[in-house]
Amino acid sequence: MVLISMIIIGVFVLLLGAFILKDVLVAKRAKVKTVHYTVRGTVGAYLMLLPALALLCIFVLLPIVYSLGYAFTDYYLLRPDEVQFIGFGNFADIFEDIAARGNVYNAIMNTLKFVVFVVPLQIGMALGLALLVNQTIRGMGVYKVLYFAPVVISLTVTSFLWVRILGGGETGLLNSFLAQLGISPVSFLYDPQGAMYWIIFVSAWQGCGYQMLIFLSGLKGIDKTLYEAAELDGAGKGKQFLAVTLPGLRSVLTFVIVTVFIGACKIMVQPMLMTGDQSFTITLNYLMYIEGYTYRWVGYSSAIALMMTVVIGAITCVQRYLLREDD
Amino acid sequence: MESAQKLHVVRKAKKITSRTITYIGATVIVVLFIFPLVWMLATSTKTEMQYANDLGSFATFLPNFSDLSTFFDNYASVLTEYDIWKYALNSFGYAAVVVVCNIIVNALAGYVMAKFTFPGKGFVSFLIMFLLVVPVETTIIPLYSIVHNLGISGTVLAVILPAIVSVFNIFLFQQFFTSIPKEYIEAAQLDGANQLKIFRIIMLPLSAPIVATVATFAFIGVWNDYIWPTMVLPSPQPGEWPLYPIQAALTTIQSIEGVTTGEVMASLVVTSIPIFLVYVFAQKYIVAGIGVGGLKL
Repeated sequence: MVLISMIIIGVFVLLLGAFILKDVLVAKRAKVKTVHYTVRGTVGAYLMLLPALALLCIFVLLPIVYSLGYAFTDYYLLRPDEVQFIGFGNFADIFEDIAARGNVYNAIMNTLKFVVFVVPLQIGMALGLALLVNQTIRGMGVYKVLYFAPVVISLTVTSFLWVRILGGGETGLLNSFLAQLGISPVSFLYDPQGAMYWIIFVSAWQGCGYQMLIFLSGLKGIDKTLYEAAELDGAGKGKQFLAVTLPGLRSVLTFVIVTVFIGACKIMVQPMLMTGDQSFTITLNYLMYIEGYTYRWVGYSSAIALMMTVVIGAITCVQRYLLREDD
Repeated sequence: MESAQKLHVVRKAKKITSRTITYIGATVIVVLFIFPLVWMLATSTKTEMQYANDLGSFATFLPNFSDLSTFFDNYASVLTEYDIWKYALNSFGYAAVVVVCNIIVNALAGYVMAKFTFPGKGFVSFLIMFLLVVPVETTIIPLYSIVHNLGISGTVLAVILPAIVSVFNIFLFQQFFTSIPKEYIEAAQLDGANQLKIFRIIMLPLSAPIVATVATFAFIGVWNDYIWPTMVLPSPQPGEWPLYPIQAALTTIQSIEGVTTGEVMASLVVTSIPIFLVYVFAQKYIVAGIGVGGLKL
C-alpha cells in the first residue's frame, strides 16, 4: 500500500520532471526567444507551489487513482495485504445485483427519482421566489431574507429537524395535527412509497434559497428597457417572462440546472440521517459509503464510485462546454 | 376629462388589489417556509411536559411564556450536561486552522499560476483543470483508506489536512491575480522585495475581497461538514475531551438516553447560530462568491 503510493507519487514527479525538461528544451531551441527561464525563478515558483501540489497529490489525485485501481480488486480494508486483482469482477457483481433488483438497483432507482424530482422542484421554487421578491414593492427585502432562512441551517440540522416533524407516533408535529382531524399516526419516513418524496421536498426546501439569490443577481442584469419595449408592443406579463426574462437568464439557468443536478446526484446525508439504511431511500453515494466504510469492502465500493465519477464527470464537462459557448 | 379620472381610479384600484394579492401570497409562502424554524426555536424553550401539552395546537409554535423560569433550561443542559460548547470550540478550532491554511496555500499556488513563467507550467495547469472536473465526493472511501494508511486516522490532522487544498480556490485566486497589473510587481522588484514579500505586502492586500469570500465559504464548509469527521474521528468517550466537531456531536446528543425534544431543538439552534451570524455579517462576500462561482466557471 505504502509502496504503491510511493510509486504513484514517483511517477507523478517523473512526469512533472519530463514536462519541465521538455519546456526547457523547447525554449532553448526556439529561434526567437520568447520565454526566458531562470533557475532561480523556477525553483522559487515550485517552492511556492509545493504545499498545494503536495496536498493535491496525496488527498485529491491519489484517491482518484486509487478508486480507479481498487475498483478492479477485492480490497477489504482490514486485510490490506491480501488484495487481489479480480478484473471486472466487481462490475459483474454490480450488474448481477441490478438484474436481481438488489441494493444497487434500489440505489440507482432512488437516486434517479431524487434527481428527476428535486431538480425541477428546487429550481422552479427558486425562480418563482426570485421573481416574487424582485418586484419593486416595499417590504420584499424582508421576504427575501425569510425565504433564504432555511439555507442557513446545515443538512444535519435540517435532517434532524424534519425527523421530529415527520416522525412516526403521536409526538411528531405533523401527526399531532393529523390526530386533531381524527387521522391515526402515519410513519411518513418509513413508508416505502412516500419516504423518498419527503426527502425530495425537504432538500428542495433547504436548498432553493441559495439558487434564488443566483437568479436574483441574474434578474438584476436584465436591461429594464426591454420590458418597456415589450409592454409597448402589447406583451402581457406571461409573454414578457417568455420573451425577455427567460432569454436574459439563459446562462444563469444553465449554471443553476447543472450545479443542482450534480449536487443531487451526490445526495447522501438526508437519507442517512432521516431514514438510515432502507431499501426505499438508499442512494448511490450512500450505498458506496455503506459498502466501503460500514462493511469495509473498499473494492466493491470503489467500483460503484467509479461509475458515479464517470457519469458526474461527463456532466461537468457538458456544463463547461455549454457555458463556454455563451462567451 | 371625467373618464380619464375614472380610468386613473380604476388603475389605482387594480394596482392596490394586485399588490394585496402579492403580499398575501408572499406571506403564505413565508409561513410555509419558516414554520419548521419557528417550531424549532419555540420548542427549544419548553420542557417535555409543555411540549407534549402544546402539541396539536397553535401553541406549539409559540415559545414558552407561561413559565419563564424554565425558558433557557434546555440551553443550560445542552451546554453543561451535554458539553456542546466543547464541540463548538472544536469546530471553531478546525475552521480557524483550515481557513488560514486554505488561503495561504491556495493563494500562493494561484499567484504562481497567474504571474510566473516556469517550465512545466502547462502540466500543472492541465492538472488543475483536470481535478476541477472530477467530483471529489465520490473518492471519499479511497481517501479514507489513504488517511488510514498514513496513520493519521483518529487524529485532528485527518480532518484538517484534506480540507486545506481546494482546486476551485486555486482557480479563483489565479483568475483574480491575473487581473492585477504586472507593474505593481515590477515596481516592488525594483525596490528589492523578494517574491514571498511581494505576495504578502502587495498581492494579498489587493485581493482582500476574494480572500474574504474564500474564507467565508471555507468556514461554512468546515462548520457544516458531517460525514468525513464521523468517519475519521473516534466517537466521544466519557471523561475525555471529544474530537468531534459540532455537526457530528448532534448525532451523539440525539442518541443520549432520556434526551428531551426541547434539548434536541436547543442543540440544533446552538449549532446554527454561528452560520447565521456569518450570513448576517459576511453577506457581501457570500453574494460576491455567488457571482464568481456562478458566472465564471
